[in-house]
Amino acid sequence: MNKTTLLALIMIVAAGVIFMNASKDVSTYSNFREADSTGDRVKVVGVLSKGKPMEYLPEKNPNIFKFYMTDNKGEEKQVVLAKAKPQDFERSEQIVVTGTMKDNQFYADEILMKCPSKYKEEEITLRKGS
Amino acid sequence: MDKIQYVGEALWIGYLCKAFIIGGFVAALLSAVSYTFSSWGSSTQAPAWKRLGNIGFAVHALLIISLLGLMFYAMVQQHYEYSYVFDHVSGDLPMKYILSAFWEGQEGSFLLWMFWHLVIGAVIIAINDQFKLEVMAVIMVAEIWLNSMLLGIYLPFGEDIKIGSNPMMLIREITLAPIFNNADYLSLIQGRGLNPLLQNYWMTIHPPFIFAAFALSVVPFGYAVAALRKGEYQNWLRPVLPWALFGTAILGISLIMGSLWAYEALSFGGYWAWDPVENTSLVPWIILVGGIHANLIAKATGRAIRSTLLFYLGGFLMIVYSTLLTRSGILGDTSAHAFTEMGLEWQLTFFLLSFVFLGIILMAWRYKNIPAPAKEESIYSREFWMYVGTLVLFFSALLINASSSLPVLNTIIRYFDPSYIGRVIKDPIAHYNKYQLWISIFIGLFSAITVWLKYKNAEQVKGKWLVRIAVYTAAALLLTWLTSLWIQLPEWHYLLMSATAWFTIVANGHFLLEAITRNTRALGAALAHMGFGIMAIGILASGLNFSYLSNPFVFKGLFGGEGDEEKYIQLIKNKPLLVKDYVVTYEADTLIGKARHYDILFKQLGNDSSQRVFIDSFVTRPNAVYSNDFSKIAAFNPDTRHYAGKDIFTCVVSLPAQVADAEQAKLMEDSLKYAPFTALKGDSIRIGKEVLVVDGLQYPPRHEEFKNHTLDVGFEVAYHIIDENGKKEEGQCAIGLEGSLMYKFAGKHENLGWRVRPSEHLLDQWLSPEDQLDYSVLSMQKGQEISWQGYTLSISGFDKNVDTSRYKVEKGDISIMGLVDVVKGEKSWLSKPIFVLRGNAPMSIKDYLIEEGLHIRLSAIDPATGTFELKVAKDKRINSGFPLEIATNVPRSDYIVLEAKIFPGINLYWIGSILMMLGLLLAWWFKYKENKEWTSAS
Repeated sequence: MNKTTLLALIMIVAAGVIFMNASKDVSTYSNFREADSTGDRVKVVGVLSKGKPMEYLPEKNPNIFKFYMTDNKGEEKQVVLAKAKPQDFERSEQIVVTGTMKDNQFYADEILMKCPSKYKEEEITLRKGS
Repeated sequence: MDKIQYVGEALWIGYLCKAFIIGGFVAALLSAVSYTFSSWGSSTQAPAWKRLGNIGFAVHALLIISLLGLMFYAMVQQHYEYSYVFDHVSGDLPMKYILSAFWEGQEGSFLLWMFWHLVIGAVIIAINDQFKLEVMAVIMVAEIWLNSMLLGIYLPFGEDIKIGSNPMMLIREITLAPIFNNADYLSLIQGRGLNPLLQNYWMTIHPPFIFAAFALSVVPFGYAVAALRKGEYQNWLRPVLPWALFGTAILGISLIMGSLWAYEALSFGGYWAWDPVENTSLVPWIILVGGIHANLIAKATGRAIRSTLLFYLGGFLMIVYSTLLTRSGILGDTSAHAFTEMGLEWQLTFFLLSFVFLGIILMAWRYKNIPAPAKEESIYSREFWMYVGTLVLFFSALLINASSSLPVLNTIIRYFDPSYIGRVIKDPIAHYNKYQLWISIFIGLFSAITVWLKYKNAEQVKGKWLVRIAVYTAAALLLTWLTSLWIQLPEWHYLLMSATAWFTIVANGHFLLEAITRNTRALGAALAHMGFGIMAIGILASGLNFSYLSNPFVFKGLFGGEGDEEKYIQLIKNKPLLVKDYVVTYEADTLIGKARHYDILFKQLGNDSSQRVFIDSFVTRPNAVYSNDFSKIAAFNPDTRHYAGKDIFTCVVSLPAQVADAEQAKLMEDSLKYAPFTALKGDSIRIGKEVLVVDGLQYPPRHEEFKNHTLDVGFEVAYHIIDENGKKEEGQCAIGLEGSLMYKFAGKHENLGWRVRPSEHLLDQWLSPEDQLDYSVLSMQKGQEISWQGYTLSISGFDKNVDTSRYKVEKGDISIMGLVDVVKGEKSWLSKPIFVLRGNAPMSIKDYLIEEGLHIRLSAIDPATGTFELKVAKDKRINSGFPLEIATNVPRSDYIVLEAKIFPGINLYWIGSILMMLGLLLAWWFKYKENKEWTSAS
């Protein structure tokens, strides 16, 4: 076997191994029920439960923000986020949190919010003095 | 309905722009076709086609530059009738950001890209090169596609199909709004202006670089196409190399700039986040670097010509792919910074596909003809390891691209199966780091062993080479051990990464020293590879070893794992907080323009913990930027303290809701429950454990906001609060009138959670309305003292510098300000009533002595006799009590939540990455020179 072929083989095997491995890093968006039953670290999509209380007490702990979120299946859980309360949180349209379910609470350390674009929302409202 | 005759629109701009866009498109089409035929047709016709191609290029260039100029003019002149101007400019936008505003939008950035194509095209036409017509043909095809993005033509098939988006459409044509029923709507509207996040100098310099790099990447693609079309596989390798080197250097510099921008000015909290937008710009860079290496191999040995072609074709395709990703909205929620959608997804897709097919067809057609030596290279040859290196680069690009393309894959699958649930990467940063770490290890390894090898004649260097490698390995291991003393390398693969990085630093550093004395031409490569090693060490130091300055006292153990890290600290104004070995104090905040700057003082404690000795102190000023209408905080910008060995990065992450958002502030103010209390001077009010004692009226005022407000009249009440420990805290609150508007200024006691403000009754009790005042008229000469109700009044003089802030000055007013001494017992005041002659009518502007409640007017002046008339009245201050309102349990508003991060060795990352680009630029310079010499010699 010559070197080029050997090299090609090594590369193909390496590629295979890496892709097999990398596929473990990939998952679908999950929901609270699944997160609870598997105990895995997952991403959950949902919306902020607007009526429920939000708690951010920087004096006690600036790293913890608690809020209620309703997932795509309509299930509502309290999320304990290891971050400061994001800017414009109340205005979010959709939330994606990454974390694990524990004792009926979702412990998240990553959050992505979809907000209505500030610049589209206004349309032609910038009339002076009206 | 009658057609409205709109006022003030400059319609000629729109007509001309449209003509330039369509004309430019047609000229580009003509030029591309002509250049293509110039190298296909018979040799007799070729010069004519070539001329036509050049004419097409010149006309196209002229029209596009005119379009740029005209759009720029419309933006500077603020012609808001045009959508692009309306979307990106506003009256308060400083001129220095006008360029940023120009390329903020998709259309402007397409034009910037096109502009660079024109510059490159002009250079290529000027140089003497056998491949230039084919390269020009490719550039013009790219230009056709980019120009088509601006066409703004609607095809009437089924649903309207939109081709391009004309930036210079009238807003009234594209938006339906009642305002356009007004013929003079232009006088009512104001542009949206530049996004406050983009109002910094990075937005001025970063886009020109990145689009220059985008434009440059078409040249290697063009050469590859030219080589395939002509069937000339050797001669193109020399002229293409400087272009590839220069383009790759510019793309790399753009990436570093983006990285610096993110780190210095945005709240990302780092310099690289593996965001899809970052990744899809990095991928073409890696591909082009692979191309350069393959090109070098091919030029020296005749091997790897196919790889060179594929890499160069791939480089530009990846640029177009990244354009598709960032501009189509497909990245959606996986990216922090994509463009807004423009509805051109399909057009961009066809742009990409047309070039993909061009590449595939040409490669398939010529593949068998491309020469590839049958004899194997030795494993002691430079080309062997360099080639393995290019494969590593290919792998790196493939991995990053595959992971970043998940949203694309999801979209494609969902197109066929709408019920498909999209896949995402759970932890993107960890995912990318895990694999690219190995890429770094291999690149470190191969770039070190290759530099001392030679092309082709390999075996003879073997012995000496092995000795060198052994020495470098020993040095790398020693340096890794030293590194592990400085930063933590917790796992074996980090140790390996450090060792391979040092390995390449040592090997290439040594080569560099030798090269400087002997063969300067290889300097670039050695410098770039050494830079790579330094960058890798910098990443291990700053990326793996960064730490948060956080409060060790807050509650821990909630997450019991990774999320447990305490990241942020709450800083209460003027309350020092000890975090790790720093005493951190939020000292002040100042509003400058649209940004509120926070002064954070850091004092570093010495190592001797028994004594509090500060060995260093510095201030950082992170800021919070308000939205253009000041209604809320739009963004936080960090500030970083730089040291040689580390950076301290600070960024505000949260503010009290009532500070960050005007709406929240109002909600909070409304939710406070103020309880009324009335007390005489010296009386105390007990609330819970605290006691408030009223100290009476206070003049001059000390309340910060009240002091800076110009009111017609206002009272300030001073008080102090004594807490349960007997600690005294002074305070003041105020109330005042400006015209008929009433202003209240509360005293804020953040530690107690109190707000104290005067009740409206205070005004009624202390200030008699003008119509209830009983004025006494006092006639006097200058200097004459007159007694009135226990006061002695006298006019001591006049001041011609009348305080015009107290009344509205009209043209022709003659005014003078009297200086009236008022004495009562030990106390004395200087009152300054104003006398105004407007036309023939005299007016008096009163002066009010708050303390005594005296209203003093200078009502008449008789110049003949030197007699002056004062009108004096006193407030009926019947009830001398102070009605106050006090709210308790008020949430604090005097704190910030701060993220403070220490990045050790981050300068190594910057130095390393800059050295890489310097190396590329040096290599470009030498290759450019070499080619010039070669061309003139042959």
